[in-house]
Formats: sequence, structure tokens, C-alpha cells
Amino acid sequence: MSGGDAGQADNRPFAIRTYAPDRLREALKRMYLIRRFEEGAEDSYMRGLIHGTMHLSIGQEASAMATCMELTDDDKITSTHRGHGHCIAKGADVGRMFAEFYGRETGYCHGRGGSMHIADVRTGNLGANGIVGGGLPIAVGAALSAKRLGRAYVTICFFGDGANNEGAFHEALNMAAVWKLPVVFVCENNQYGMSTSIVRSTAVPRISDRAAAYAMPGVTVDGNDFSAVAEAVHAAVARARAGEGPSLVENLTYRWRGHSKSDRNRYRTKDEIDDWMRRDPIARFQAELIAHGILDAAAAEALAAEAAAEVEAGIAFAKSSPAPSVAEVTRYVYAEP
Amino acid sequence: MPVEVILPKVDMDMTTGTIAHWHVAEGDSVQKGAALFDIETDKAAMEVEAPASGRLAGIAAQPGDRVAVGTVVALIYGEGESLPDRAPAGPAAAPAPQPDGAVEVILPKVDMDMTHGTLAAWHVAEGETVTKGAPLFDIETEKAAMEIEAPASGTLRQVAARPGDRLAVGSVVAWIQPAGAAAAPRPQDTAGLSAPLRQPRPAATPATPAPVQAAEGPADPEARRRATPAARAAARAAGIALAAVGGSGPNGRIQRDDVIATALRPQEAPRPADRPATWTAQAGRLHVSDRNGTGVPLVLLHGFAADSQSWAPLEKALGGQLRLIRIDLPGHGRSPRRKLGGFAELARAMVEAFDDARAGLDRVDLLGHSLGGALALAIADVRPRHVRSVALIAPAGFGPEIDAVALGGITRATRADSLAPWLRRLTAVPEGISDDYARAAMRLRTDPDLRACQADMAEVLFPDGVQPFDLRPAFSRLTCPTSVIWGRQDHILPWRQALSAPGDFALHLLSGAGHVPQIECPERVARILSRHLAAAAQEN
Amino acid sequence: MNSLADAGLRVLSYSEAIREAMALAMEADPTVILMGEDIGVYGGAFQVTLDLIDRFGPDRVMDTPISELGGAGVAVGAALTGLKPVYEFQFSDFAMLAMEQIVNQAAKLRYMLGGEASVPVVFRLPSGSGTGAAAQHSQSIEAWFGHVPGLKVLQPATPEDAKGMLLAALADPDPVMIFEHKLLYKTKGPVPEGHYVTPIGRASVRRPGSDLSIVAGSIMMHRALDAADRLAADGIRAEVIDLRSIRPIDHETILASVRKTGRLMVVYEGVKAFGVGAEISALVAESDAFDYLDAPILRLGAADAPVPYNPDLERASVPQVDTIEAAARRLVRREV
Repeated sequence: MSGGDAGQADNRPFAIRTYAPDRLREALKRMYLIRRFEEGAEDSYMRGLIHGTMHLSIGQEASAMATCMELTDDDKITSTHRGHGHCIAKGADVGRMFAEFYGRETGYCHGRGGSMHIADVRTGNLGANGIVGGGLPIAVGAALSAKRLGRAYVTICFFGDGANNEGAFHEALNMAAVWKLPVVFVCENNQYGMSTSIVRSTAVPRISDRAAAYAMPGVTVDGNDFSAVAEAVHAAVARARAGEGPSLVENLTYRWRGHSKSDRNRYRTKDEIDDWMRRDPIARFQAELIAHGILDAAAAEALAAEAAAEVEAGIAFAKSSPAPSVAEVTRYVYAEP
Repeated sequence: MPVEVILPKVDMDMTTGTIAHWHVAEGDSVQKGAALFDIETDKAAMEVEAPASGRLAGIAAQPGDRVAVGTVVALIYGEGESLPDRAPAGPAAAPAPQPDGAVEVILPKVDMDMTHGTLAAWHVAEGETVTKGAPLFDIETEKAAMEIEAPASGTLRQVAARPGDRLAVGSVVAWIQPAGAAAAPRPQDTAGLSAPLRQPRPAATPATPAPVQAAEGPADPEARRRATPAARAAARAAGIALAAVGGSGPNGRIQRDDVIATALRPQEAPRPADRPATWTAQAGRLHVSDRNGTGVPLVLLHGFAADSQSWAPLEKALGGQLRLIRIDLPGHGRSPRRKLGGFAELARAMVEAFDDARAGLDRVDLLGHSLGGALALAIADVRPRHVRSVALIAPAGFGPEIDAVALGGITRATRADSLAPWLRRLTAVPEGISDDYARAAMRLRTDPDLRACQADMAEVLFPDGVQPFDLRPAFSRLTCPTSVIWGRQDHILPWRQALSAPGDFALHLLSGAGHVPQIECPERVARILSRHLAAAAQEN
Repeated sequence: MNSLADAGLRVLSYSEAIREAMALAMEADPTVILMGEDIGVYGGAFQVTLDLIDRFGPDRVMDTPISELGGAGVAVGAALTGLKPVYEFQFSDFAMLAMEQIVNQAAKLRYMLGGEASVPVVFRLPSGSGTGAAAQHSQSIEAWFGHVPGLKVLQPATPEDAKGMLLAALADPDPVMIFEHKLLYKTKGPVPEGHYVTPIGRASVRRPGSDLSIVAGSIMMHRALDAADRLAADGIRAEVIDLRSIRPIDHETILASVRKTGRLMVVYEGVKAFGVGAEISALVAESDAFDYLDAPILRLGAADAPVPYNPDLERASVPQVDTIEAAARRLVRREV
């Protein structure tokens, strides 16, 4: 847009233009919540309070939050093993999330699912998934339901760069396109599968290149730029709601921590990690909001503190929650009459 | 290439067998299909035929040897094939000494066409000193009796033949160990064979591992007996020790029925084998009864635990014309009790009785039921000229399976109400035996000595609940008209055993009949029998 | 022995009975949809869905691309969000491509999500050998799924059960797998009209007896009945139990039978080793019925080989009436 007409052209970032200020402030707080949550979970883990392992999404907060800006409680998401951020972005309660990590009865899954299977079906979160690519066909199925049942919801399918080489990815995209289903495939490309960089695993330079093979639009954006992600997803969601079928959005991002807690980070350099950490998506978004007068630094700090307090309260809640009864190990395998 | 003669598998789960007897000697001519040797297995004795014609050589297993299925036990050399070099058998040649010096003592050929001889008596006992040239044992052949000299001096060891044993020429009957040599184990190979025999073919089934010694495991002897869970539970409930129960299942496994049979016995008694004989044998001939009539007589042989009176319904159905001769088995009816070692002894007793009974008659027809059927075949096998026809009702001796538990139960019952359940196994349906019938049957069994004698006979004839005697070879040798009648619902001897019978015969299967069709449906049996006898008459 | 056989019911083929169940369900409930390869105009490889597309249209009778993993996953996702899909694998063998979605997703979602999710999906699988389709199109792998908590696994042997079990599966909030034997599709039997369900997890004593118990499912149930006829001619009374449900197994019917007869034989078409028979033998051996056993438990299953192509080999590689009869005789005659 040229700057000819004084005051008329809106050159502000998409998010600033599109969303009301309180929503933007809420979005920033959520991003802080994700960050503090991940840090709190990491801390609990390192203290030996959490069983198993976890897959942290520190550094990917913009991708999660900006994607979910478009969504209502009716819209669905499927998530990945690195899905804490998606869950919080979709409105999950951090206390119940911590309770689940701590394996307590009060967790989202009554202590039976753990980190990789957090879900809140009633608010549209169909669940994180422990199988890479597991959520792709399921998301297409959710979109099929929308179409068959005449419902207006859209399904966002989060997946990572590693999943794009699974057969399920190809089968799911093909069917979504053939049947013109209201699903948006959002790839969080953080450059690495577990330890294998995308350059060594994927035949195309951009995952969005694969969209063409399935006759759907595909776009690659800076995944750490809140507005870039929001704009791309907005267009895709609008397309889906209009009945025009699926799209693929690729968010280029980076995870600060290793794949899981067992990861020694041997496959990437400290310089690379440091370089990305300097491009912190939260700092970036916050700066943008401040620059456009959505909030000031003090208010931002307050939001961060609120997020921290919520996380602390969540951890306390988890620690004081009861464990599930051993006698009930087979409860919930089948529906209860 | 010489043809291998192997020890064949003749039973389903056979892994070894014992050579009982060679019909030919080393170097003899054999004809394909002729009897070559007899083998014994856990189940039966059988003749093995020569697989080819030629000269037999390289006999590698002697009577008494237990060898694995598939072992090559001899070779048959064809025309033009040269036999292996071998030191000639016979007393003229001195057997080559073994590395440890032991010298074999063989049954020598003393007549030109002698193939076998009987070792009549030993002059020296095992462990005693012999002197070369001194009398060692006596031999009997069809022609004569002779003294055989010791082929060497030393100590007599490993005597392998007893007086009365009939052996093939060349059989090793003992070894002589020269003075000073330690007792050596029996050598595996005889001297002089130059044709190496191949390794025995591996048995079709893997060799059963040696039984694990009970070094560890429960000290409780009850736990070590083979018994099914149902049998154990029944034994616990009845307060019976498994040691007191005989097992009728495979490998002597105790089945629930076995425990029930023991529980039904009136008093706690040790197993019959351990029980001192409570009855004494009696002298005298077997009891024979007659019914006058015309024409060729029908000789009736009843079954185990029955007697000649049990023929009554059939006799009535047959009508009064036929001349009948009924023989009571030893320990049955009015025949004396005898101690018998096995089926062979029983058969010999019956042949003797048969000869007495038909004295003066040229030929008779035979009718046998169950054990009596097997005995009828044994008689017909040795007296073929005197038997015009053979009719068998549910004959024994056609396979291993038999419900010996029921027979044992019958012998041990002391009251009608403990006899009845076992009698009810004899008919197709339990309703075939009324309480009156059971009472009447019990009245014939009030003598405890008779019952004890029959119980012991059952132990001896049907050890571990199987029929060890096999009459199928005898059956195949019959040339006279033969009919077999069997009830389809026979719970004692399964009718399908008839299908394994060789030879030509008429098989009549009766639906709705059990083990005693001559009692259950005498008219039907009489009709079949009459037609059979009429056909026999026509043929002659 | 069908207790309803003498009620003058009309006779349908096994595949017609399944079709009728689908049509009834789809009429009554708009959330029921069918998915599978070639199930639309083609009518399905075994013609089970014939003409349903004419009645219900392509949106409810959906031909999928050849994408078993994706397709099964779509069915799972649809079931998670309000639809009731009936997904037909063209051959049970192809379910292997979808193991991830069946075993890791469908079976586990309810549990992993602490009871908050429901996956009421039905998978139908044409199964078994005897058509010369050879190793990769003839397998009987129901035992694999018997091993997975969260699934239900059924094996209807009769047209009546084929209809009733599909209707029961559709009423069940959990994932159900129904293994249909290919050789049964054309067999006929009485089928009640209208809607009814065959309760899941209940075996059926098809033929009462007292001398031995034969537990068999699917086509083996029919062979066991034929063997029982032959045995009856010789006074051997075999009790034949139609297993019907592999997960859950009807323990009580089987145990009651073993307590009565003391002898048990399990006949199944899956490979003998690690199959349904192993499970049933073990559950009897560790139950109170153990004390009633008067003989070892026999299993007749398929040979330890891929399903052969040659018809004689193919036939010999699975239990037949002859082998069932012979084994029963050995059992009763205490040869084992």
C-alpha cells in the first residue's frame, strides 16, 4: 500500500487491525501463560515431581496463540505431543493441566493420559497425540462430521515438520481435499523432527510446497510473528467456513529446548539456539502491542505476573490433588453404563 | 545296493520296539513278503515282512534288543550283489575274539535246513567257569536234540536265552569271558561284518527325553502321580489316596472314572497287584454244556464277566433246531478258577477245552462275544481245519481301546446297586438294564472267589486299561466265512475297531445296540447269524 | 441350533442380513455413515453394501481412496465428534495398514482422556481363507485385536447374529470390530425382521452335550456342528459353543460347559500359536473349572504358515470337519 492518502491507509500489523485490544491483551497474557507453564513444568520435572517425559514448546508461543485467535469454543483443534501451548491457547485451565502432569485424579484425563494426551473435548480440544501424524486423519474426521451434521465449526490440525513425512499426512490431506472439508492444517515447522533436520528428511524445501500436491492453498510464514500467523490462519479459516475446503499454513518457528527431556541437543549448535532465542516471539509481540498503544510496559509486566501467579496456583493445586485409586486401573477403558 | 530292513513304526506313537524273534538266519534266502522277524511294542506283537527278495545279511539286532524306529536291523542283498565277508556261523568255526577277549556263544545250526532251535537246558549257570569243549547247553530242533559244547574257556556271562526259548540260528545266547578279563558290556557288533550299516534313520518323532529324576519337586507322592484335575478333585472328595487307584488313561494317568471305580469298591483295599491272592486256583477241565440239535454244532464262547447262561435270549431267538456247545471261560460260570499270566495262556486253555468239546466231531461253527470273540479267533487260528465259520459279536483284540474300568467295576461289585451302573455301560442306553436284571446278574456273582479271580483276570488281560493282545493277524488268516456284528453304541469296545480289521468279512452294524446286542436285540442278531450259518453251510 | 428357527422366519443370506442392519440403522439415525473402498456403486468387494448408495446417497455411503490408515483415522475423528461411521476394510488383512488408528487411537482415546471422549466407530472386516486368495488376503487376525483393551471384537457365525451384532455395535459407545468370514457371506439362515440386538459378550450353546465341549467361532462353529453330528452316531455327545465374541469372552458359558463335560476343545481359524484358543485354554486352566478337567485341553487352529495358495494345502491348513471329528474322538478315547 502506498502512503499517499494521509491517515486512510492502515499499515498496522494484521492482528492490531483485526482484533479488539482486550483480545490482544488476553493473547499476550496467554502467551506468557504458555511460557510460564512450560517453565513451571520443566522445573517440576527437574525436581523429580513429574513422571515420564515432556515435550516443551518454549519459543513457539506465537504460532499457538495466533492460530487460535480465530477460534471459538465450537471450533476444534487436534494437537501434537508438543501441545501444551495449543491447549492453553484454546483456553485450557493450567491447574487441571498440571494436575494431569502430576498424574492426579483432578487432571484433565484423571491422571491416565499424561503430558502427551491433554484434551478438553467440551471446549473443542480433541487432544494432544503421542503418535506423530496421529491427529491428522482424526482432524479430517472431525471436519467430516461438521460437514455431514451441517455444523459451522472449523477444525485446526496442528502438526510438526516431522509429521509431514508420515503416510497419514498424505492420506489425510488428500481426503480433506477430495471431500472439500473444513479443516486447516497448521504445520509448526521448528526445523527438526527429533534430531533430524528437515533439510535431511524432507524432499521439498518448504512443507507448504506439498499443499499443491493435494490441490489446496499452502503458505509459509514467520511462525514467530504473531500477525503473520494470524493473517494466514484467518484466510484459511475463512475459506473453510465458506465451504471452499482445506488449506495448509506453515509456521516457521523454533523450539528452545530439546525434543524431550532426554534430548542432549547434540544435533544443533548453541549459536543456532541462541540466535533464535534472541528472536523471542513474546518479546516481539509485546513490543508491537506497546508500539501501537494497546498496552504499556507496566501493564505488560502485570500480565506476565498474573500469568506467573496462575501457574504457581496451578502447581499448588496439582500437588494437593489426590492420586487415582489403584483399584480403578481399568476404569474408563470402556464406557460406563 | 542292498535293501535296508528297518524296524518299522507300527503304532501311532511308537518310538522304539523290541526284536522278539528272527524267522530267518544270516545268509538265508528270503522272499519279498515272507515273515522276516517279529517285533514287540508296548501295544502289540507283530510280524514284519521282508521288503525284498534276496539273501539276508548283516543282522544288527538280536532278539531282546530294543531299537529305535527306523534303525536298520539287516540288509537284503540282491542277485549278483556280494554278501559281506563274514566268519561262518556254526560250531565248526571259532568265533573271533572281541577286543576284550569275550567270546560269543551262539545257537548253532545243527541240521541242514534248520532255521530255528530251542535252547532246552543249560549245563552251566551265569557266573560259573566253563571249559572249552565241555557241554554248555542242550538244543532241540524238529529233528533231534543235541548237546552243544563251550567254544572257549572262561566265565559264562550275559546269558540271553532261557530254557524253552525258540531262537533263530546264529542268535547269541551268552558270552564267555576269558579268565582274567573284567566283565565287559555286551559288544554292539558281531565280528566279521565288513559291510558297514548306515546310521539308523532318525525316528519320525523326536526321541522322548529321559524322564526327569524327581530330585526336586514336591516330596508328596500324591502330587507325582499322573492324574487329571477331575480325578484329583474326586479323590479329595472321596478321601481316597491316588496311590490306591489304578489309572486307565494314557501313561497310566488316573481319570475321574478310575477314582469313582475305586470309590465304589465296598472296602478300602490295596491295589489288586499288591493284594495277596485271596482265591486259590482249582483243578479240572473247563465246563462245557450242550444243547442237542441237528447239523453242524455252534460253539458259543461268552465274554468277560459273563457266562454261558448269558446266551439264553439268543438261543431262544435262534430256535430249537441248532445244536449248541457252550464253554465257560476259566473263572467264569461253572469252570474252575485258574491263575493266568495273560491272553496267550487263556487261549491255550480254551483250545484245550475246544478240543475236548468237539471230540469226535469234524467241524463246528464258532460264535464268540467280546473276549470270547478274541478267543474264537485264537482257536480258529490253530484249528482251522475244524472250524467251518466264525461269527464274532463285538470282539476283543481289534485295537487297544476298551472300557476296562467298566469291566473292573463289574468284577468288584458286591451288590446289585453297585453292579448296575457298570452293567448299564454294556447297553446302548442305560435303560437297557433294569434293576431286576442287575439283581439277577448279581445273584450269579455272589462267590467272592469268583469275583476276585475275575478281577485278577481283568488286571492281567487288560493291563492299564488297554487290550494288549491283537487278534487282527489271526483274523487276517481266516479263510472260512466270517461275520462280525457290532453295536454302534458300544461303549466298551468302539465299533470302529472293526474297520481296522484286515481280510474279507461281513460287518453288521446295529444302530441302537451297545456291547451286548445278543441280549439287547437277540432277534436281530439271530437273523444275521442264521443267514451267516446258512451261507457257511452252502459253501461246504 | 437356532431357537427362532421354527418361528417361520424368513431366510436371508449373511450379507443380506448385514445390509439390512445397515439400512435400518441409517434410516433411524442420520449420524450413521458408511465408509470404505468401493462400497458405493460397486457395492463392496463382497457386495455387502449393494444398492445402499441408491437409498442413502454418496454422502452417507462414502467411497474412500485407498488409504486405510487415513480412512480409519477419519472414521475415528468423525466418531469422536458426533458421527457413527461404519468403516469397511476390504479385506481384514488391510487393517494392518490402519493399526495405528485402531490400536493407538480408537482403542485408547477414551482411557487416555480420562473418560471424556467416546469413539463409537464400527470396523467391519471380511476375513478368513478358502477362496484361494492366498497369504495376504486370507488371514484371520481377530486374536490380535482381542489383545487390545478398549476394543470390542465380534465374530458372527449366522445371518441372524451378523445383523444383530452390527446393530449392537452401532449402539455401543466404544469401538467395535466385526470379523465376517468370507465363506459365510452366501450362507443363509433365519433372520428376524426389524431392529434387535445380539448382546455383545455372550456365547451361545448351539448344541448341548455331555461328553466334551467344543468352543468355536465363525465358520468353525458350523464345522464343529457337522463333526458333532458324526460323533453323535457313535454315542459321543459333543456340546458346541458358538464363541461369538472374542473381546469380551463369555467366560461363564465356557466354564459352565467345562464343568459339565470335563473335556474341552477350542477350534479357530487363526494361526494356532498365540491365538484365541490359547486365551480360552488359559482362562479355563486358571478357573475353578480346572478341577473338572478330565483330559488336557486341545486347540485346533491354523497351521504355522502363511495361508497357502494351492487349494489342497489351503484346505489342509485350517481345521476341517474331519480333523475336528478326529480330535474329538482322541479326546474322548483318552488318547491324549
